Formats: sequence, structure tokens, C-alpha cells
Amino acid sequence: MKKMLALSVMMMCAASIAFAQAAYDLKEMTPVVKSALEDRKTRFGDLKSLKAEGKVGENNRGYVQALEGGADVKALVAAENKDRKVVYEAIVDQNGLDASALATVETVFARVQRDKADHGEKVQDEAGNWN
Amino acid sequence: MRSLFLVMALFCCAGCTVKAVGDPNRPITINAHITIDIKGLEKAASGIEDFVSGTATSK
Repeated sequence: MKKMLALSVMMMCAASIAFAQAAYDLKEMTPVVKSALEDRKTRFGDLKSLKAEGKVGENNRGYVQALEGGADVKALVAAENKDRKVVYEAIVDQNGLDASALATVETVFARVQRDKADHGEKVQDEAGNWN
Repeated sequence: MRSLFLVMALFCCAGCTVKAVGDPNRPITINAHITIDIKGLEKAASGIEDFVSGTATSK
């Protein structure tokens, strides 16, 4: 009887953990999301070069920011940010999150971008300082 | 054994029941706060960025 009770408690705990750890992802690859991801993939090399030159940095809101350069840099940054927003909004929509969760998604992506940044690339920390 | 399952079933039901007390003609608003699993979100974000950078091949 005690074994059964212990087993039941363990099963309930396991179920609770499974519910608590939500698996977020892009659950549906809609044409808009696919296009945004493919476009990001295509411009990744150019963006990486601009980051290495210090012309573009990763801000703390999950978007790239033009720090130097002209209209071409700004156009690339605008296009990248537009695609990022499509991806962020898709994560919110497809995972049943409240619209207010968009800010959290953006912040989490900003953190991931900081972690993945190469040495010398400009990133903005949570306090707003550029490093 | 049967009583154990009964207790378990009652426990599960109790966790899902919302009891509203008050004037039935007066609407009540329940603000639901959904906690986001940040670690899970980070994992998803990392996977997407790996795909974009070419580190991961499929999304």
C-alpha cells in the first residue's frame, strides 16, 4: 500500500513537471514565418560582417541596431528586425501565450544573442550599456 | 486500493475547480497569470538562431 502511494505521488510530481516545462517552438511553419527565417538566413553573413566592423550591435530588446554606417546599413537592420518580429510574434501566437509575453520573448532572444555573440561584437546588456 | 484512486481523483478534480462566490448577476473578472518557462523559451530561441546562422540544419 505504501509503495502504491509513493508511486502515485511520484507519478503526480512527474506529471506536474511535464506541465510546468512547456516546450516552446515554432509549431507551424507558415509561409510568412518560413520567409522570415529564410531571409534572415540569407542576410546572416552580411549582418555578421557589419557586427564585426562594429556598425551593427545586438540590443537588449532582441533586435539589431545600427550603430554606424549609412542608409544601406539601416535598411539591412530594418529588414532583419522586421523578420525577427515575425518570428517572435509567431512564437507568442503558436504557443498560446498572451500578447504581453512578446516583451519576454524579445528579452530572451536578446539574451541568447548576447550568449552567441563573437568576441568584439557589440552587445547591449540588460542595464542598457553597450559592450 | 479503490480508496486510493478515489482520493487521487478527488485531488485532481479539486485542482481544476474554480468556485465563484457572490452575486450571480455581477460579472467577475479573473486575471490569469501565465508563467512563462524561460529555460524552455531560451532553448527554442537558441535552436532558431542556430538555424539562422547555419549551425543547425533544420528547423
